[in-house]
Amino acid sequence: MMNIPCPFCGSRNEAEFAFGGPVKPDRSDPNTVSEEEWVAYLTQVPNPLGPVQERWWHVKGCGMWLTIWRDTRTHDIVEGPADAE
Amino acid sequence: MPSNRMDTGGRIDRDRPLSFTFNGRRLQGFAGDTLASALLANGVRLTARSFKYHRPRGIVGAGVEEPSTLVELLGDDASGNRPATTVPLRDGLIAKSVNCWPSPGFDMGAINQLIGRFIPAGFYYKTFKWPGWHLYEPTIRKAAGLAAAPAAPPEQGHFESRFAHCDLLIAGAGPAGLMAALTAGRAGLRVMIADEATEAGGSLLNRRLTIGGTPALGWVKAVVDELATLPNVTHLQNTTVWAYREHNYLMVNERAPDNPGLLERNWRVRAGQVICATGAIERMLVFGNNDRPGVMLASAAQTYVNRYGVRPGQRAVVFTNNNSAYAVAADLAAAGITVAAIIDNRTDVPEEARTLVEDVDVLAGHVVTGARGARQVRGVTIAPVDGGASRQISCDLLAHSGGWNPAVHLWSQSRGNLRYDDTLTSFLPDQAAQDATSVGAANGQMILADALGSGARAGADAAGITMPDIPTSADLTYAITPLWRVEQGRGKAFLDIQNDVTVDDVHLALREGYDNVEHVKRYTTGGMGIDQGKTGNINIIGTVAMQQGAPLEELGTTTFRSPYTPVSFGAIGGLREDSVVLPYRHTPLTAWNIKNEAFMYESGARWRRPGYFPQPGESFQETVNRECRIVRNGVGVYDGSPLGTFEFKGRDVGRFLDHIYTNIMSTLKPGHGRYGLMLSDDGLIIDDGVALRLSEHRWIVSTSTGHADAMNSHFEELLQTQFPDWNVFVTTVTSQWNNATICGPLARNVMQALGTDIDISPAALPFMGFADGHVAGIPARLVRVSFTGELSFEVNVAPRHLPALWDKIMTAGAPFNIAPIGSEANHVLRVEKGFLSLGHEVDGTVDPYDLGLGWVMSKKKTDYLGKHAVAIRRSGTTNRRELVGILPQPDQMIPEGAPLTPGGERRPTEGLVTACVYSTVHDRWVGLALLENGHSRHGETVHARLKDKVIAARVTPPIHYDAVGERLRS
Amino acid sequence: MPYDVQIDRLPCFALFDLKGPATDLAAWADVLPAFPKAANTLTRHNGVDLCFTGRNRWILRADIAREDALIAALRPEKAPPEISITRVSDTLTFFRITGPDAAQVMLIGCPLDLHDSVFGPDAVSYSEFFGLKALVMRCEGGFDCAVEQSFGDMVADYLSRATA
Repeated sequence: MMNIPCPFCGSRNEAEFAFGGPVKPDRSDPNTVSEEEWVAYLTQVPNPLGPVQERWWHVKGCGMWLTIWRDTRTHDIVEGPADAE
Repeated sequence: MPSNRMDTGGRIDRDRPLSFTFNGRRLQGFAGDTLASALLANGVRLTARSFKYHRPRGIVGAGVEEPSTLVELLGDDASGNRPATTVPLRDGLIAKSVNCWPSPGFDMGAINQLIGRFIPAGFYYKTFKWPGWHLYEPTIRKAAGLAAAPAAPPEQGHFESRFAHCDLLIAGAGPAGLMAALTAGRAGLRVMIADEATEAGGSLLNRRLTIGGTPALGWVKAVVDELATLPNVTHLQNTTVWAYREHNYLMVNERAPDNPGLLERNWRVRAGQVICATGAIERMLVFGNNDRPGVMLASAAQTYVNRYGVRPGQRAVVFTNNNSAYAVAADLAAAGITVAAIIDNRTDVPEEARTLVEDVDVLAGHVVTGARGARQVRGVTIAPVDGGASRQISCDLLAHSGGWNPAVHLWSQSRGNLRYDDTLTSFLPDQAAQDATSVGAANGQMILADALGSGARAGADAAGITMPDIPTSADLTYAITPLWRVEQGRGKAFLDIQNDVTVDDVHLALREGYDNVEHVKRYTTGGMGIDQGKTGNINIIGTVAMQQGAPLEELGTTTFRSPYTPVSFGAIGGLREDSVVLPYRHTPLTAWNIKNEAFMYESGARWRRPGYFPQPGESFQETVNRECRIVRNGVGVYDGSPLGTFEFKGRDVGRFLDHIYTNIMSTLKPGHGRYGLMLSDDGLIIDDGVALRLSEHRWIVSTSTGHADAMNSHFEELLQTQFPDWNVFVTTVTSQWNNATICGPLARNVMQALGTDIDISPAALPFMGFADGHVAGIPARLVRVSFTGELSFEVNVAPRHLPALWDKIMTAGAPFNIAPIGSEANHVLRVEKGFLSLGHEVDGTVDPYDLGLGWVMSKKKTDYLGKHAVAIRRSGTTNRRELVGILPQPDQMIPEGAPLTPGGERRPTEGLVTACVYSTVHDRWVGLALLENGHSRHGETVHARLKDKVIAARVTPPIHYDAVGERLRS
Repeated sequence: MPYDVQIDRLPCFALFDLKGPATDLAAWADVLPAFPKAANTLTRHNGVDLCFTGRNRWILRADIAREDALIAALRPEKAPPEISITRVSDTLTFFRITGPDAAQVMLIGCPLDLHDSVFGPDAVSYSEFFGLKALVMRCEGGFDCAVEQSFGDMVADYLSRATA
């Protein structure tokens, strides 16, 4: 049970959050990219051994979507949300 | 008084005798005993049969390390595989040995001893592999039997699992843990200290030491008393910290909570800091027949005399490679046991050890090469370490000590590193991975003064204060010469007594190429089981090291995993059982439904809903048919409350809805609604529903019941991560707007009978229209949507008004023979109408075109979620599975999910049946299916291939009823 | 000892979900108490609680008898697009848990640190209760804990088991 830093609420049990997956590149206008690029955008998700930036939704808390850097080997949160209050 | 019980001494209450039963024998012990100490007091030495060879076994340890005597408790305590050393005795306790039949004294399975040399490690894997292990497994498991699981949960209370928070969690209330708790507690930290024993003190309970010049247990009592006065300290005994997870989250199992309703409690603790004061566990020495009843860990023998006032034998031999057993010998002698000799593999025994036992014969430079005796030890064979003649010494107790392993289990679970220490010949905590420290014997501080000092230091550091004074104490220096196994001698030399793993088994594993300690563990099962190899693991590593000529630090340890000791499933589950094992949701009409004998069940998103309302004598099918006819021919009403409902607000709502729906929503005029479909960006249908525009900037969006939470996540993720600057607010109002949906050709009549200030004429309130007003005097929003294909009025009201509205509908509808409709009939009605259902027709492979909903895919919008993915998918040449209707030939039901194969032959499927219901309109079975190129195959015959038969079906358009939609618009 | 606690399922409150900048909300409706400054705290004025439960998110709580008056004062349907005001009175079911062991019973279901030093008298937060999203705040002698209304019967079930 991780303890995830929420910018609004402070550290809270992982169970209050829903996992939002690794952060993908920003969505571009699909009309401006090739089919291959679009398929890659849709299907390729970062999956490193080590720190990964990922989204969590504080669904049972303040409702905020936030990002953390989590080390997939240890669950260490190596960097918290950038916009912590 | 039984013969082995001492007249005085120990922490038992001789004024409180307790009766218990072991393997059918009625015996007596005292309050304060464990089952093991009481058995020894009664002279019961043969207490178990071993797991694989069914060898006779006795009690080996005195605590959680016990590898040998596992018992099954019966009656109120029903539970299995409990080490006898950890079962507090109580009056009326009923216990039996787990691995023998009919008794450990006469055990049929003992035949395995005779064939023992034919069943080495890996025997089962090698022998029972054809045609499959699963054929043999049940029988072998039974023969190797551990205790059976209790047949029913305990009735005399319930389990609890709860959260807790503290600044400092201390695992272990021995000298180091208590010192840490006292120091941090006095400094005001929120401290939680938990210890597995029934009382605090740790090793001090088992030894005769002094602190501050007086018996150490006096100091323990003073500390415990002071901790009890500190409101910031929670002190729990009979409580094990059994798991150390990420982010300083620990599991703590309290086995005897001070609450008569509770069986056990599991604390889920988030700790600021953690101190592991978990002590050390003595390891065995490895020599021939080191498993005979009467061969016991030295510390265990010491515990029995000092703590329980029990002599585990009359004439003892002590075998050791370190100093600690000399204190044991002295304590045994003081208890009146004859110590025949101390056998020490070291040639130079330190003077401070030898002076403790001046009257005892110390044979330095010797080892025990084997224990003699069959059903219990009768003597030992000893020999000089450097060879030479062996000789025998008679005894009925062999107390042995192979040294001490710091209990690094929790530390290791926290991902803290270990290092091998040559001086202590054991693995010690090294680098911490979380905010944790190890103190006392758990950290290699084997002497009392060091343990107290390290505890005080850690407590002070946690609190940020200076080191307090520590009381004086005296203890023996710890000095050891490693002895991983005795190489001379005969007989099986056990490394893991619980799993019957011998030195030979490890050698076999190494010969066969399993040379990593993790592989050795899995091949031999050494270190698995209830005790997880607490007494033997390091010996296994030492044996591997000896065989390979490699240093232990290179081999490392196997992974320490939770739980440290066994935990009841009940404690982990807590309150979650019976009715609350899964969440459930009720609408305000649940009570009415139950009262009216609806058949209730979960039907998505945890809602308990009425499936159907049977009348006396009606079968399931008759009920559903009746409810369908009511809606098609008259008027019915159902509770549509669970529908996901969201209020949207802001300037950019239209723009946002255009992005998430496939069709255009922004052009909708206030006062109107529109059906829409939502795709994920990779082109899968994620939901459908209706958007209502209340005013310029306010909208209501409904989603399917089952996907309401997922849709909320979808909206919020997009708005917060992709469009943070857009002016859109979303508020969940599912439980603010409940509805009763009146449906059927007579629905308008019922509405008129109810009375409403809303003009419900088709012109004023057309299909997909809505209006706010009153219905039967209740504030309501009336919406013209239809999930049944009939004229429908969805009467939305605040939940607090729903029961009143429902009653009024029943009264006003009575002249029209209105009846409540369950979800089964609703399902039939939607299938007749060809309305799709998520999870049925929408299965994660189909797109809107496949479903005949191409019209909902906007051509005008250059981009919306899923548009490009659908286009890319459809540009391929793969045949699409498309929605069709089916009419089984001859008329019969086809099970939902049945595969369609060409000709019904055993060939790759070309589709599947997604629904099949009995249509009262057509008086026959009708269905829906996804079929390859189905849109162009109307009129063809397809075949559902079932296990025992093939059913033909004619392909039709997917709408079986009112294809033009006259009725729902009426 | 069994838990010394009193558990009451409270009648419906008047509840409003407010979203948007505090300044815009305050400008729109003068009926609101002063806006709490610290995250997850509340202010009380004249029987109305204003809970700061998320960034630009607030919950207003008052006795149900004041619901119509509050609607009239808040005018949800007329509010400018910069703010959102939604009546959510029926969406939450409140349980009031009071008595010496109130915190102990709360902690069976709630992972928040409810110690006085952490969860003070003006604390309020969304969190979990028996695995459900829940609004937790202090009340006289204990805690108020609200879950989505449809789960009310299940939470009552849990609480009766917890204190059996």
